[in-house]
Amino acid sequence: MTPEFLLTAIIFLPAIGALVLSIIDGKAVDAIRFMSLGVTIATFVLTLMLWMQFDYETAGIQFEVSKAWIPNWNIFYRLGVDGISLPLVVLTSLVSMLSCVASWSINKLHKGYFMLFLLLETGMMGVFLSLDFFLFFVFWEVMLLPMYFLIGVWGGPRKEYAALKFFLYTLAGGVLMLIAMLMFYFNSGGTEHSFNLIELAKAASGTSDHITGFLSPSMQITAFVLLFIGFAIKLPAFPVHTWLPDAHVEAPTPISMILAGVLLKLGGYGIIRIAFPLCPYGAAYAAYALVAIGVISIIYGALAALAQTDFKRLVAYSSVSHMGYVLIGLGVWKITEGTTVNSDMWLMGINGAMFQMVAHGISSAGMFFMVGVIYDRVHHRDLNKFGGLMGLMPLYSGLAAGLFFAGLGLPGLCGFIGEIFVVLSTWNYSPLLAIIAASGVILTAGYILWALQRVYLGAEYKGPHKEDITRMNAREASVAIVLLAIAIVLGVFPGIIFDMMHASTSALVESMKLGYQHAADLVKAAADTQAMR
Amino acid sequence: MVGETLRNYLMIAWLLPLAGFVVEIFFGFYSKNPRHSKAAAWCAVGCIGAGFLCSCAALVTWGNANDWCALEHHDSHGEHADAGHETAGHEHGEHAAGDHHVAEPAHNAAAAGEDHGHEHAVAAASGDAADHDDHASGSQQTTYSGVLYTLGKFGSLELSLDYYIDSLTLVMFTMVTLIATCIHLFAMGYMSEELTDEYVDHQAHTSDGKHVHRPGRFYRFFAFLSLFCFAMLGLVLAGNIFQVFIFWELVGICSFLLIGFYTERKSASNAANKAFIMNRVGDFGFLIGLMVLWTFFGTFRFGDTTNAEGVVAEQGLFSMVHRDEATGNFLTEPITGDVLITDNHGHALQQDGQNRSIPYYLLVVAGLGVFAGCVGKSAQFPLQTWLPDAMEGPTPVSALVHSATMVAAGVYLTGRFFPMFVQEVLLTIAYIGCITLFVAATIAVVATDIKKVLAYSTISQLGYMMLGLGVFGWGAGLFHLITHAFFKSLMFLCSGSVIHGCHHEQEMPKMGGLLKKMPITAITMLVGVCAIAGFPMLFGLHFSGFHSKDAIVASALAFMKANPSHFLLFFIPLLTAGITAFYMFRLWFYTFWGTPRDHHVHEHAHESPWIMTVPLLILAPLAWLCAYGGESGPLYLMLTGDAPSHLANGVAAATEGGLVMPGHEAVHAVHIQAGLLALAAAFSGALIAYILYGTNLVNVEQMKNQLSGIHGFLANKWHFDDLYDALFMKPAHKVAAFCAWFDKTVFDSILHGSAKLVVLVSQWDRIFDEKVVDGFVNLLGTSTQSVGRSFKVVQTGRLRQYVMFIVLGVVALFAVVFTTFPG
Repeated sequence: MTPEFLLTAIIFLPAIGALVLSIIDGKAVDAIRFMSLGVTIATFVLTLMLWMQFDYETAGIQFEVSKAWIPNWNIFYRLGVDGISLPLVVLTSLVSMLSCVASWSINKLHKGYFMLFLLLETGMMGVFLSLDFFLFFVFWEVMLLPMYFLIGVWGGPRKEYAALKFFLYTLAGGVLMLIAMLMFYFNSGGTEHSFNLIELAKAASGTSDHITGFLSPSMQITAFVLLFIGFAIKLPAFPVHTWLPDAHVEAPTPISMILAGVLLKLGGYGIIRIAFPLCPYGAAYAAYALVAIGVISIIYGALAALAQTDFKRLVAYSSVSHMGYVLIGLGVWKITEGTTVNSDMWLMGINGAMFQMVAHGISSAGMFFMVGVIYDRVHHRDLNKFGGLMGLMPLYSGLAAGLFFAGLGLPGLCGFIGEIFVVLSTWNYSPLLAIIAASGVILTAGYILWALQRVYLGAEYKGPHKEDITRMNAREASVAIVLLAIAIVLGVFPGIIFDMMHASTSALVESMKLGYQHAADLVKAAADTQAMR
Repeated sequence: MVGETLRNYLMIAWLLPLAGFVVEIFFGFYSKNPRHSKAAAWCAVGCIGAGFLCSCAALVTWGNANDWCALEHHDSHGEHADAGHETAGHEHGEHAAGDHHVAEPAHNAAAAGEDHGHEHAVAAASGDAADHDDHASGSQQTTYSGVLYTLGKFGSLELSLDYYIDSLTLVMFTMVTLIATCIHLFAMGYMSEELTDEYVDHQAHTSDGKHVHRPGRFYRFFAFLSLFCFAMLGLVLAGNIFQVFIFWELVGICSFLLIGFYTERKSASNAANKAFIMNRVGDFGFLIGLMVLWTFFGTFRFGDTTNAEGVVAEQGLFSMVHRDEATGNFLTEPITGDVLITDNHGHALQQDGQNRSIPYYLLVVAGLGVFAGCVGKSAQFPLQTWLPDAMEGPTPVSALVHSATMVAAGVYLTGRFFPMFVQEVLLTIAYIGCITLFVAATIAVVATDIKKVLAYSTISQLGYMMLGLGVFGWGAGLFHLITHAFFKSLMFLCSGSVIHGCHHEQEMPKMGGLLKKMPITAITMLVGVCAIAGFPMLFGLHFSGFHSKDAIVASALAFMKANPSHFLLFFIPLLTAGITAFYMFRLWFYTFWGTPRDHHVHEHAHESPWIMTVPLLILAPLAWLCAYGGESGPLYLMLTGDAPSHLANGVAAATEGGLVMPGHEAVHAVHIQAGLLALAAAFSGALIAYILYGTNLVNVEQMKNQLSGIHGFLANKWHFDDLYDALFMKPAHKVAAFCAWFDKTVFDSILHGSAKLVVLVSQWDRIFDEKVVDGFVNLLGTSTQSVGRSFKVVQTGRLRQYVMFIVLGVVALFAVVFTTFPG
C-alpha cells in the first residue's frame, strides 16, 4: 500500500462504507451496526499504519499527495501529514470507533444514522489531512451537514433549535474563513494564484520558491482575525461558545463524544495549521488577545459549569474551560522589541496546547459517554436527582470517577500534562494571565468533585426509574476501559505524543519567528521611508 | 554504582504498593468471594512490608558507601564547634547546598563509637559489619540524584521524573514504610467488620430513616491504602519539585478517596471534597511558585545531573543560587539587588552577555508559593479547617494519612526546599506555624470527639514543625516530623482501638475508666501522651517529644534573641507546650481514668484483638525512644547528615535591621534554658489536666458554663468554617450562577435578537421584493411593451425605408462624433 493511497483510503473508506450501507436493508439493524463498526475499525487500523510508517525526525509534510483537481483555478487534491496532524488523525479514528460502539444505543432510523456517521468521519479526516486551502474548506463544510442532521434528527427535545444553532454558528465561521481564503489566493501573486497551504506558509516567512506574493502586515492582521473568529467558534472560545452547551445537551451520546472529542479540535488545529503559519505577523499582533480569551474561557467555563444542574451541560461547559488552555498555549509568543524571547517557552506552550487537545479528546469523550450510560437507563440528567450510584453500579462509577479525574487534571492522567505544561509556559508571557489561569485548578476541582458527589456518592438514588439501573454491560465497559486506559498511558508517558510532534512544532516555531521578522522588517522599512519624507 | 543500587531499592519500595493496588483492585472485582477474604490485606501488608525491608537495605547501602559519615561528622562538628566556630563554618561552607557531590569531610574517623542500630534494628545487623571498613580520608558522596525518564523536552527545557536520595530521603522512606506496615496490620483488624456481604452503616441513613445496608468493601480499603503508599513514597523519592507536585496531587486524591471511604455518608463525602478543594487552594499557590521557578531557572531538579564521566551535565536548582560564605545571604547583583543565577562555583551564568538573575521579590513569591502548597497539605492556618473534618475517614487512615505521612509532606517539602527560601519567606513560615500551633491547640482543649482532639493536636504539632523550620531550626523541625509521626500514629491507632472496642463511640464524655478494660491500649496511649508532652525520663531514656520539641523551642529562643521584635515566636510555642500537655492528658484521663460515664458503652468495651495491639506494642517503644540521644543521637544525625550548608553559621542581616538567622552555636547556647522552660510548661499543663480530669476536685461542667463565651468560640473552631463559607463558598456559587445566567440570557438573547432581526429584515425584504423590485420589473415590462407597440408603426417591412433610416442614423452618428471630438 503506497503512502498516497493510504491517506486517500483513510479519508474515503468511511464514505465508501456509507455507500455500501445505502444498499443494505434498513431493517437489518445488526448488520448495519457491525458493518459501520467494521469500517471505523478498519479506518483506525489504517491510521495506526500511518503512525507506524511516520518518521519522527522529519519536520515537514510526509506522505504528500498532490493531484490537480480544478486546474483552472490551481486547486489541488493535496494531502499529507506531519507531527501536528498525526495525533489528531489517530484521535479522530479512535474516537469515531469508540463512539460507533456507543451508537448501539441509537434506537431509530439506524441506516440513515450510520450513513451520516460515516460521512462525518470522512469530513473530519479530510479536514485534518488536506493541505490545500480549498480542499480544507470543502471538507470543513462536508462535515457540517451530517452533524446538522445527526443532532437535528436523533437529538433530544430541542434538537431542531440546537442543530440550527450549531449550523449557523459554524457556517458564520466558514464564511469568514472563505473571505480569508480568497485574500490569500488573490494575493499569492506571480502568474498563478495558489491555495497550497504549505507554500503559502513558506511565502509568509519569505522562503517560498513558488509563491512571490505575500500578505502585507496589515492584511495579515485582518486575515488572522477573520480566521481566528472562524476557528474560535469551533474551539469554542468565549464569547462565541453558546452553541456548544445546546448542541451537546441535545445531541445523542455518540455524537456528543465526536463533537467534544474531535470537532472542537478542528478549531485548535485550524489555528495552528492555517491561521498561525499563514499570518505570523497577525498572530504575533493578536497573541495577547488569544491568551486573554483563553484565560477568560477557562474561568468563565468553570464557573458556568459549577452552576449547572444538567449533567451533560456541566460536561459541555467543562469543555469550554479546558479548551481555553489550548488558546493560551498557542498564544504565549513573547516578543520584546521585535525579537522573540525565550522561544522554548512558547514551544512548550504549543506542545502543551496540542497535548491538551488530544487529552481533552480522550477525557471529554469519556465523560460524555459516562453521562450517556446513565441517561440510557434513567432518562434524565438532573444532577440533584442522582446519588448512590457507587453502590448500584460499582464498575461504572469507578471508571467514571477515573475519567472525571482525568478531566480534573489529576497527575497520572492525561488532563494534567496539557494543563500544567501550558500554565508553566505562561508566566514568561504574562504573570497576571498566568495567575488567573492557574486559579482555574480550584474551580475545576470544585465543579467536578461536586458533580461526582451528587451523582455517585450518597446513601441512595433519588431520581426516577430506579428499577432500570442495571450494571454496565460489556459493550459499555469496553468503551470506558479503553478511554481510561489511554488516559492513564498518556498521563504517565506523555512522551508518546510529544515525540510525535516535536520536530513539526519546533519547525513551526522557527518559521513563525522568521515570518514575523520578515513582516516586521517591512513595517520598519515603511516607517523609515515615511520618516525620510 | 551505589546510586543505582539505592535507586533500585527505593524504586522497588516505591512501586511495590502500586503493583499491590492493581492486584487488589482486580482481585476485589473479579474474585468470586472478595467480601470474606483477607487476601487483599495480606497483599497490601506484604507490599509495604517488603518496601520497609528495601528501605532498610537502602539505608545500609547508603551508610556503608559513606562509612556512616553522617553520624561521625556531627560528632566532629560538636568538637569543632566548641573549639571555634570559624573552623566549623569553613567545613560547612564547602559543601554548597544540594551540590551533587557533597564533600563530607570525615575529620574524625576514629569516632566510630556511635552505635547506629537503635532505630533501624534490621539495618544494624548488616550495618555494623561493614561499618568499620576504614576510609579515613577523602570525601564521601552522600546525595545521589538522576533521571528516571523524560516527560517532555522543548529545546533547552526538560521535564522529567527524577530521583534525589540523601539522608533525609532515606529516613523518610524508612519511617513511612515502617509506620505504614504497622498501620496496615492494625487496619486488618479494625476493618474486619467490612468482611461481610451485608455491612450495616449506622451513620448513613436512607430517606425512610433506615440504616444503609451494603456489601463490605474490605479489599477496596486496602487497595486505596496501597495506592496512597505508592504516592507518598513517590513524593519522598521525587528528584524535582514538579515531581513533588505530581505526587502531591496523588496523595491528595488518595486522601480524598480514603476520607470519603464511607461514600454513603454525606458528611464523609463533604469532608473529602473539602479536603481536596482546600488543598487545591494551596496548590494554586504552589503552581505560581512553580511557574516563577520554571521561568527563571528553566529547571525543577533539586540536584545536578551528571553524565557518564561524572561531569555535571545540567545544574539543579540548589546549585543555581549561591550564598555568600561570610553572611549566608544569596549572591546578588550589586545595583539591582537581583539574586544571581550561578554555576556550580558561584559565578553568574550568562545570557545574551548579561548575568542571569531573578528579582529578589520573585524569589520571595516563589518561596511563598511553594510554601502555600505546604500550608494546604499540612493544614496550616489559614487552610487548617479540612483536617478535623477528614476524621470522617476510618481511623487507620487518620493515623497514616492525616497524621504521620501525608500532612507531614508539607513540612518535608519545606525542609527539602529550604535552600531556596529567603528570610522573608522563613519569617512567614514561622508566623504561620506559630498562629497554627496556637489556634489548633486551643480548639483541642474543648473538643470532645477523641479523634478530633488528635486532629487538632496534629495541626498544632505541624505548626511546631513549621515554626521550627521558619526560625532556622531545620534539623529541629524535621526531627519533630519523625518523632511526631511515631507518637501520633501510635495515638491514633490507640484511639482506633478505643473506638473499635467501644463499638464506634467517639465521644469522650461517654467513655471513662477504660484503663482496666483495655490495658494495652491505655498504656501505649500513655506512652504517646508522654511523648507529645515531651517528658524526660531517667537514664536518658527521654520520651522522643522531649528532644524534638526542645530543639524547636531552643531554635525559637535563639531566634528571639537575635531578633527581639519577634518575641511572640518564642512565647506562644512555649505557652502552647503547656496547652499541649494539658489537652493530651485531658484526653487520656477523660478516656481511661476515673469512673465510667456511660455504662452501656463501658460494659461492651473490650480490648482489641492481637492484630491491633501488636502494632501498638511495636510503635510504643519507637514513639518513646526513636529520638534516643537527642541531637547527638543517631536519628537526628542521620536526618541532618545532608543539611543545607548555610544552617551552621546562620545568616547575617541582609539590610540594616533585617532578620538575623541564628547558627548552631547560638541555638546550642540557649538549649538548656529553653528546655527547662518548655519542661515547666509541659508539667504544669499536665498537672492542671490531672487536677481537672484526673481527680474530682473541680467540677468541669460548671467551669465550662462559667466560660461559655470562650468555650463556644473555641468549640466553633474560631468560626473559620462560617467565615470561609460566607467569604468564599457562597460568593463562588453566586458568581457561578451569574455566569450561567449570563450565558443563557445575555449571549443567547443577543443571538436570538439578531436572528429575529434577520427574520424581520427578510420579511421587509420580501415586501420590498414583491412591491418595489417586482413592481419595477413589471413597470419595465409594461413600458417595454408599450414602446414596442409604438415602434410597430415604424416597422413597415419596406427595405428602402430601412436603408434610409440607416443612412440617416450613420450621418447623425458621424455628426455627433465629429462635433464632440473635433480633429
